[in-house]
Amino acid sequence: MKRRELLRLLATGAAFQLAPRQLMVVLGEARALLASQSSARTLNVHQEATVKAMAEMILPRTETPGAADVGASEFIDLILTEWSEEAERRRFLDGLTDVDAQAKTLFGRDFVECSSLQQSEILTALGEEMAVDAERLRDQPLAAGESPSQSFYSMLRQFTLTAYYTSEAGATRELHFEIIPGQFQGCTTDHAEKEEQKQ
Amino acid sequence: MSEQTTFDAIVVGSGMTGGWAAKELTEKGLKTLVLEAGRLIVPEQDYVEHVPPWEMKFRGLGDRRHLMEDQPIQSTCYACDEWSAKFFVSDKENPYTTGAGKPFRWIRGRQVGGRSITWGRQSYRWSDLDFEANLRDGIAIDWPIRYADIAPWYDYVEEFIGISGEALGLPQLPDSKFLPPMELNCIEKSVREELGKHFGSERVLTIGRVAILTQDHRGRAACHYCGPCERGCITRSYFNSVNATLPAAEKTGRMTLRPYSVVHSVSFDAKTRRATGVRVIDARTRSAIEFRAKVVFLCASTLESVRILLHSSTSEFPNGLANSSGELGHNLMDHVNSAGADATIPGYEDRIQVGRRPNGIYVPRFRNVKRKYPDFLRGYGFQGRGYREGWERGIEQTGFGANFKRSLRGPGPWRFSLFGFGECLPDHRNLVELDQTMVDAWGIPVLKIHCAWGDNELAIRKDMAISAAEMLAAAGGRDIEPFADEAPPGFSIHEMGTARMGRDPKTSVLNSFNQSHDLRNLFITDGGAMVSSSCVNPSLTYMALTARACDYAVEQMRKGEI
Repeated sequence: MKRRELLRLLATGAAFQLAPRQLMVVLGEARALLASQSSARTLNVHQEATVKAMAEMILPRTETPGAADVGASEFIDLILTEWSEEAERRRFLDGLTDVDAQAKTLFGRDFVECSSLQQSEILTALGEEMAVDAERLRDQPLAAGESPSQSFYSMLRQFTLTAYYTSEAGATRELHFEIIPGQFQGCTTDHAEKEEQKQ
Repeated sequence: MSEQTTFDAIVVGSGMTGGWAAKELTEKGLKTLVLEAGRLIVPEQDYVEHVPPWEMKFRGLGDRRHLMEDQPIQSTCYACDEWSAKFFVSDKENPYTTGAGKPFRWIRGRQVGGRSITWGRQSYRWSDLDFEANLRDGIAIDWPIRYADIAPWYDYVEEFIGISGEALGLPQLPDSKFLPPMELNCIEKSVREELGKHFGSERVLTIGRVAILTQDHRGRAACHYCGPCERGCITRSYFNSVNATLPAAEKTGRMTLRPYSVVHSVSFDAKTRRATGVRVIDARTRSAIEFRAKVVFLCASTLESVRILLHSSTSEFPNGLANSSGELGHNLMDHVNSAGADATIPGYEDRIQVGRRPNGIYVPRFRNVKRKYPDFLRGYGFQGRGYREGWERGIEQTGFGANFKRSLRGPGPWRFSLFGFGECLPDHRNLVELDQTMVDAWGIPVLKIHCAWGDNELAIRKDMAISAAEMLAAAGGRDIEPFADEAPPGFSIHEMGTARMGRDPKTSVLNSFNQSHDLRNLFITDGGAMVSSSCVNPSLTYMALTARACDYAVEQMRKGEI
């Protein structure tokens, strides 16, 4: 079904006059269509794709879901739209632009077009820069009342890790978080680690 | 049917002490009206301790813009997070001002249960080291009571509350009637042993003494270790007034709990020289209503109770009702904090904790206990905990990819934190007054707070950082980071002292039973009554004093004295 036709059916309520089986098909297509469109409000399609790719590189899908599976880029868009201060949002978007500029300089294409090896090189460089910043901050403490401005990559890492480890999959499948443990043991052996070693 | 307006007793506030006054007065037969400025709390609807982060819009990072706009002061408290912000007041509706260059952080909860919903639950008895301190040092005035006066009331409230902890037999920190202690984790046990080797019996590490049940107790269930008590507790395993005292009062059939009731002032009859009741503004309709009773208990919190009295001036009491002494609003104290140390402790990397223990460790006061310490009067205790780093450590690391993800799957190294709570000396110059230039959302003048740390508190803060670092070094810590921040008073949320007890009506607001020297049917049983601040968490003492004052008040009523 064509997009325009689908939207017309939904908008006019005509879809609900269809036979139940046909209605299921229409609604299924509608869901797929909506999923393919970006619902992002701060990030454009290209920026969101870049954030999604970077987040998935930091926490990829392994035997458990990865950052893309849990919608890290959607969460980051929410943070930029409804949580961040204007200066932070600008710093984040400028950082994304720099990532592409770096990719173009080094490899002649946007970050999302780079090979995974090339993308790794860029993330490694960003990490090194972040470490140098942190070192400098340790050597030169801030004046009272002054707060450090978080770099793009540090923000990306903070929001990616938050999105992942506070998601249901990240918390329960990756970290084995239980809402109600029902007991406290202060000094026990790490069962999860043991099981992993067996595998 | 029109609303009943006459009662035997009125209790202002439904939190830590208001809940106790409600329970005690109703159980002793008084028809009691409990007035709460905020909304009703229904645990099944309002408690959120089991809502996982993935159901929160900002995943625990908080609704930052809303917090900055509506709760910029409240949100500086760790407990005012995305889940629990609703248990803290709107700073816009509840403003206050401070003296020039004297910041003060006032954290408040206006709902049934008050701040008892979000309190830290640490519960310690005071000792005669505390009750005799002012007399010994020649500071302010002497306490009109000693440990022997309050000890049976500690027994009494602890038996109801349920305090878990370890008996140590220390003179400076008397043991409570304990439920079994929570377990120390590996690193806490190890630090405890190392401290014993280096400091002997002088610096002891023990599990926090905490108002959380480790076994079923009086119809409330043992803790299930979900962690964030400050979000409520559907199994009522930690003590707050909604979980324990208010239901007990309700059971008598003699309590009328009235939420949305902002107390405007206490009414006074000059002929009888008694309080006749209180004037209330209904928070929703803004209409005024007056309630009458034979006895009035102010349990609205240290600063709110004083605010009500300052706003109840009459021609006989032009500087605030029950203030013939001139001490009402003065001698504001809070515990000096924001100093201690953090370290990494090597070892036990193959060991983990299961469950989230909502309690830390405690190191009782060791300065000026057995011998005089030259740098300052009084002392401090440490709270703290040993813990393993979580996934957050990955933010500052530079790794990425499958191996990085795997490295964050298990916990990081063991860390240990110690942070001090130090005694604050009473100082007449630390005071609150009404600020007639500003009113709150209900038209009541706000408080202007003038409070600053003195030299003794600053000397204590410095020593907290040094001795914490020294202890972590003795315990084998690495990368030890001492800290001593310039946090203003209010940060401990232990404000007290603005309606102090005393023997002499000329120098104190209350007598030894929390009864006004001036109006014999007026009692203040919140933190206002404190004459000195000790260094231990004060709520348990407020509760014991409240139960004691209720017993006295009812006895006086029977004798016809009130």
